[in-house]
Amino acid sequence: MLELRRVSKHFSGIPAVDDVSFTARPGEVTGYLGPNGSGKSTTMKMITGLIEMTLGHILFEGKPIQDDLIAYKRRMGYVPEEPYLYNHLSGAEYLTMVAQLRNLPPRQSSECIDGLLRLLSLYDDRHASISGYSKGMRQKVLIAAALMHNPQLILLDEPFSGLDVGSALVLRSLIQELAARGKVVLFSSHELDTVERVCSHVVILHRGKLVADDSIERLRSLMALPNLEAIFSQLAVEQDTGSMARQIADLIHA
Amino acid sequence: MRRFLAQLVERLPTDFRVLYRQFLLRVVDLEALSIHADVISYLGQFAGILFMISLLQAVGAFFSTLGPAPPPEALVPLAWNTEQSMISMMMLVVGLITVVSWDSTFPDRRDIMVLSPLPVRPSTILFAKVAASAAILGIAVIALNGASAFAWPLVLAGVPGILRFSPALWLTMFAASAFLYCAVLTVQGFTALLLPRRMFLRLSAILQLGAFGLFLAVYFLTPNLRTLADFDAPANQSLIAWCPSYWFFALFNQLNGSLPLKLEWLAVRAWIGLTVALCGASVSLLFCYTRTMKKTVEEPDLVPGTGGMHRTPRFGSALQTAIVLFSFRSLTRSRQHRVILAFFLSVVFAIALSLLRSELNSPARLPVNQDFIVPNFLMMTFAIIGLRSVFSLPISLTANWVLRTTQLCSSDKYVAATRRTLLVLCVLPVLVMTALLSLSFRPWTQVAGHLALLAIIGCIFTEISLIGFYKVPFTCSYLPGKSNIQYAFWGVLIILPVLAISFAPFEQQALNNPVRFAWLAALLAAATLGLWTFNRHQAKSAVLYFEELPPEIITTLGLISPRPSSSE
Repeated sequence: MLELRRVSKHFSGIPAVDDVSFTARPGEVTGYLGPNGSGKSTTMKMITGLIEMTLGHILFEGKPIQDDLIAYKRRMGYVPEEPYLYNHLSGAEYLTMVAQLRNLPPRQSSECIDGLLRLLSLYDDRHASISGYSKGMRQKVLIAAALMHNPQLILLDEPFSGLDVGSALVLRSLIQELAARGKVVLFSSHELDTVERVCSHVVILHRGKLVADDSIERLRSLMALPNLEAIFSQLAVEQDTGSMARQIADLIHA
Repeated sequence: MRRFLAQLVERLPTDFRVLYRQFLLRVVDLEALSIHADVISYLGQFAGILFMISLLQAVGAFFSTLGPAPPPEALVPLAWNTEQSMISMMMLVVGLITVVSWDSTFPDRRDIMVLSPLPVRPSTILFAKVAASAAILGIAVIALNGASAFAWPLVLAGVPGILRFSPALWLTMFAASAFLYCAVLTVQGFTALLLPRRMFLRLSAILQLGAFGLFLAVYFLTPNLRTLADFDAPANQSLIAWCPSYWFFALFNQLNGSLPLKLEWLAVRAWIGLTVALCGASVSLLFCYTRTMKKTVEEPDLVPGTGGMHRTPRFGSALQTAIVLFSFRSLTRSRQHRVILAFFLSVVFAIALSLLRSELNSPARLPVNQDFIVPNFLMMTFAIIGLRSVFSLPISLTANWVLRTTQLCSSDKYVAATRRTLLVLCVLPVLVMTALLSLSFRPWTQVAGHLALLAIIGCIFTEISLIGFYKVPFTCSYLPGKSNIQYAFWGVLIILPVLAISFAPFEQQALNNPVRFAWLAALLAAATLGLWTFNRHQAKSAVLYFEELPPEIITTLGLISPRPSSSE
């Protein structure tokens, strides 16, 4: 179980994440939503240990992650928002390097890498440089790198970015399958349809503060709204979207 | 004058001016710089190094006037030696700039993809690129001759002679620079035109390294010819016929009115070479901008990998193997890293070449003497310092997150992996090269002793270079940008030869006396062990540093001026 207790992150005194608390449980997919700049990726980076929080505690299976960060990292897999990779390596070289850094047994990791590359349709291009990969191919490399060590906690920040329809459907099923096998999955995305299909529980962030933390069913009935998009619009979208679109069109004299 | 220049610049088309500024700054790869670094000050530091060299030459000129005036027969050798030194130094610097900014004059894929959708003519891109390259070369020529091109004419030609000598020297410097730069452009351009793009990209990297080695080898290995008799010597005929620095030496003397008739043919070569290079560069650039821009766009994004070996050798633990392979691949696949490393390695190879030449020319089997120990010491230390410097150039700061999220070992394990990288990629190759250079020419027992001591020295310098280095290679930037390059450059250039010359007598004595050898080896081994223990102890408590994120501050762009509040 992943638990955030009153977590805050300030940049030069300005709060990017403010007093956020929620729990992601094994066996369920927790959706983490919010508009651009709401603090989602900052929270993800705090959970991965990439940046330190200003206040609060992050606990995994009851223990603060900072107590033994190395042991925590062994059990965590992370797909970042941007597909930043070492472009001078090939896909196979990159995954092998990650396996070596994770100290996975060579034979086992080699079989796992080959299998993942085949299943993700990257096998034929495994020796090509990542610099030539499409965005979707890079995303697949990130997903393979995050999962190859069978992590207990899976953090997915916009994992569908750049994926074609077929791959996105596979990933959607995979997320559900992993949760069904007892993994803790925290899933951040702007694709509300996907979140609604995949997640049982959502956390909505707005301007760094938590504005909702409940199951989608309960939110629907509490707010008397038909779907997640309507809930999200009510909680986290401030602008009149139609009026804004008209203003942009007017500005460019369309 | 300033107003006139400002008006002139304003008359230039806006798109040209914008592109010119962009291309000028892109001679330096921005990602290589520290996130705190300033490109302009970085370029200024390099100009400062060149001006410092010029200043040293000027000081040399000043000191030459302090003693008794040289007899007239000694004046010509002094003048010829100085002129050749200045010209060959100028050509070396231009050569190095050419290699560092290897294909910056040609449009790359990024330029084409960004600029093609915009209403910018290819000719504007071409002129902006050429202007940016010309500006960099111009700065280099002026900085490198800023002091010396005024001091030496005064010494060699006196006050009346300076009126012809100085312009002749400046013209020669610009001509020699233009020749070399255009010659390289011609070779690059025609290679790009004649070969398929993928093959060109591969060959281009090899050509770049070859050019680097060639420029340094020519600079280090060609002698200055001080008299007409030297130029007449049959052994030197092919050298002066094919080495452009002699052509431009003759060109300078032709412009200065001091060229002996016998050397006229060399000046003619300079003029022909300059014309051919200028025409070749113009034609190849024009063709490249009309033909290869299309070829570049049509090139598929995904280039299939080669069918070569894909097995990964082991270099110790999994972490050590990962770091050694990551470093090796970064060095071999990144143009920028290759170039900086090539600079240091070319010095190493130049030393090795000069050693080989003296070995081949020596009539008898010589013992291991100081002439042999000093170059090997320099090779080893230059290689280690070179690789350590290249470690400080990041390969992709944004991708560092993967190393952070997979950091499952303590910092000392990462430092051990970096140590392994230095030993495998630096110390071992230099030892092999030294063994190959020496085993056939020197007594093998002495060579074995020398190799053992050289290995320990390699370990000492490896440990020294690891002090305070709590990083994974290529993940943080230190040089250039944050560090003052001038201090580092002069420090290395002065300290290493002094160390080598001081150490050589001790080693030579030790090689002839087993007891002394045992003492020296034990002393050096103890120093290695001490440094290793120190580094290990420090690394255990250190936090591995990754330069990935800018400092945690929110920076305003200052686009909106603060409004007075309504209460005011």
